[in-house]
Amino acid sequence: MFLTRSEYDRGVNTFSPEGRLFQVEYAIEAIKLGSTAIGVATSEGVVLAVEKRVTSPLLEPSSIQKVAEIDEHIGCAMSGLTADAKTLIDHARAETQSHRFSYNEPMPLESCTQSLCDLALQFGEDDDEGGGGGMSRPFGVALLIAGWDREAGPVLYHTDPSGTYVKYRCMAIGSGSEGALTALQEHFKPEMTLAEAEVLALSTLKQVMEEKVTATNVDIAKVAKNYHLYNQDEVEAVIARL
Amino acid sequence: MGSNGGGFDFDLCKRNALLERKGMAPPKAWKTGTTIAGVVYKDGVVLGADTRSTSGSTVADKNCEKIHYIAPNIYCCGAGTAADTMNVTAMISSSLDLHRYATGRQSRVVTAMTMLKYQGHVSAALVLGGVDLNGPHLFTIFPHGSTDALPYATMGSGSLNAMAVFEAGFKEDMTKEEAMALVAAAIRSGVYNDLGSGSNVDLCIISKEGVEYLRNHEFLMAKTYTRKFPVTYAKGTAPVIKEKLIPLSAVDVTEGAEEAMDTS
Amino acid sequence: MQADMKALHKMFMSRNVTYQHSHGRPMSCPATAQLLSNTLYHRRFFPFYTFNICAGLDEEGRGAVYTYDAIGSYERTGYSCQGSGKDLMQPVLDNQLKAASPLVLPPRNSVTELPLEQAVDLVKDAFVSAGERDIYTGDNVEILIITKDGIKREELELKRD
Repeated sequence: MFLTRSEYDRGVNTFSPEGRLFQVEYAIEAIKLGSTAIGVATSEGVVLAVEKRVTSPLLEPSSIQKVAEIDEHIGCAMSGLTADAKTLIDHARAETQSHRFSYNEPMPLESCTQSLCDLALQFGEDDDEGGGGGMSRPFGVALLIAGWDREAGPVLYHTDPSGTYVKYRCMAIGSGSEGALTALQEHFKPEMTLAEAEVLALSTLKQVMEEKVTATNVDIAKVAKNYHLYNQDEVEAVIARL
Repeated sequence: MGSNGGGFDFDLCKRNALLERKGMAPPKAWKTGTTIAGVVYKDGVVLGADTRSTSGSTVADKNCEKIHYIAPNIYCCGAGTAADTMNVTAMISSSLDLHRYATGRQSRVVTAMTMLKYQGHVSAALVLGGVDLNGPHLFTIFPHGSTDALPYATMGSGSLNAMAVFEAGFKEDMTKEEAMALVAAAIRSGVYNDLGSGSNVDLCIISKEGVEYLRNHEFLMAKTYTRKFPVTYAKGTAPVIKEKLIPLSAVDVTEGAEEAMDTS
Repeated sequence: MQADMKALHKMFMSRNVTYQHSHGRPMSCPATAQLLSNTLYHRRFFPFYTFNICAGLDEEGRGAVYTYDAIGSYERTGYSCQGSGKDLMQPVLDNQLKAASPLVLPPRNSVTELPLEQAVDLVKDAFVSAGERDIYTGDNVEILIITKDGIKREELELKRD
């Protein structure tokens, strides 16, 4: 290991001779250790379903937050170093509010995603460059950003530590993402209803989770015009439909 | 108090000064923003004026008269506070009338000029013109009382616009037609380029032969658009609430009512 | 003030381009209206000497008129006028367009829908009349007709005095 990657895997500002930024690639690896999160977009709205790893019976499951509201019309699911996501979400919340203040309208989804990726890229900047300058490493988190865009309707974006964003109809991140993506590719249909999407997301999550799905170890949120995080009863209702 | 025996009444000066000190705004007078002008030509004098009167930034009268009668051979254009120019010229006009009765001679333009100096108490800027036994005369009288005798003169907010035209076009011993065209052009320049002046051009030509007062000599511009969908209000839009008719036959008319003698 | 008007206008042309670059579509009329308010209030203690009306089509494609004071207080109305002739014009528009009184309950929409031809006719008449009595109004009026098909510009001569 030391022999093959020596020197070039330290600095975030140095490409390896093969043209790779190892620190960024390691950050992407970190996501594969995270809990699984799934997003499914339909014409009626977007569903986010995430696994919460309740590692101990002493743990208070409601304190694990893996989906968050960014603005009325945007929600996001995270996987990886979720503490890093806090910084990103705070930034996105400030951006969307500032957009509302400036223009009295909800922020377009792509703009919000772009601004998150701008922040994600600032790991390469010096202290005095302003912005988030002085970051020591890339963020170790991937996000699924679900939202309702005034022009485009329901949309789902995926961002990773490299600052890349791509729009998806359906996406999974985290440790179970590979298996989940195979399942999603097989079962996703663009003409799905929101209720069908809930079932697809949760059943896919169920396949890749080690524990049994309960109302306490998953979180479900939807953005159907507005963001809504499901309460325990609503989650149980979806589980019952599996 | 309250007598109308001529001259100015200063009774309310003190009270009004007090009210003003206590913060009451004095009433706003109509001003004739104004372009007025005059030239001497071969046989006499041509006076000209625009016809706009303003109150602040609104037009109070779109077709007022600014060339005032002083005597059969003397007229006077007035700029400044409309009430001042009207009354000052009317007062001098009647004084000169009496003067003519007393002397039996034609009034001289200098006489009128001397009498019109008000030393700043009234705001009237005047262009006085006429023809007397000494020939044609043209004077300007400033609100503070200074006077000039000139071959061509302008006054009012549009005076610079009009004077520019005069400086470019004035010649000595012009014909009546040339003089009329020059004065009209000077007033037009004020009407189009000075906001305080507007509407039409009045001219007054005074010569030994007599006076031609050309009211609205030039009518410059009418409204540029009339509505395709004019508003009509249905009958009864303003409802009649009460009606009371008094037939004329029911009115008592007492002729030559007796008045108690004033014994105070 | 002409200088402030030019500066503000220029700034908005550039803000509109910047917005298109970052959000991929032109700024909507309501967004422009909010931005104008913010821009004016930003200068609360050294204001732009401008009195604005912002007009266009809203998200539903309906006509929108926003009216401002110099420091950014604004309101969406059905019609409005600004400038030296507004004291003469506003009461006429109120009368012709039957503004719902703010005291009448339930509150009614103050947007009066007039066919385009009649609206333009009213605007022209209002300007010609203001030009008769306001010394600062005159020479020409520029009329912009904003519809979903685009913006049409008309010019009408007024009295030149």
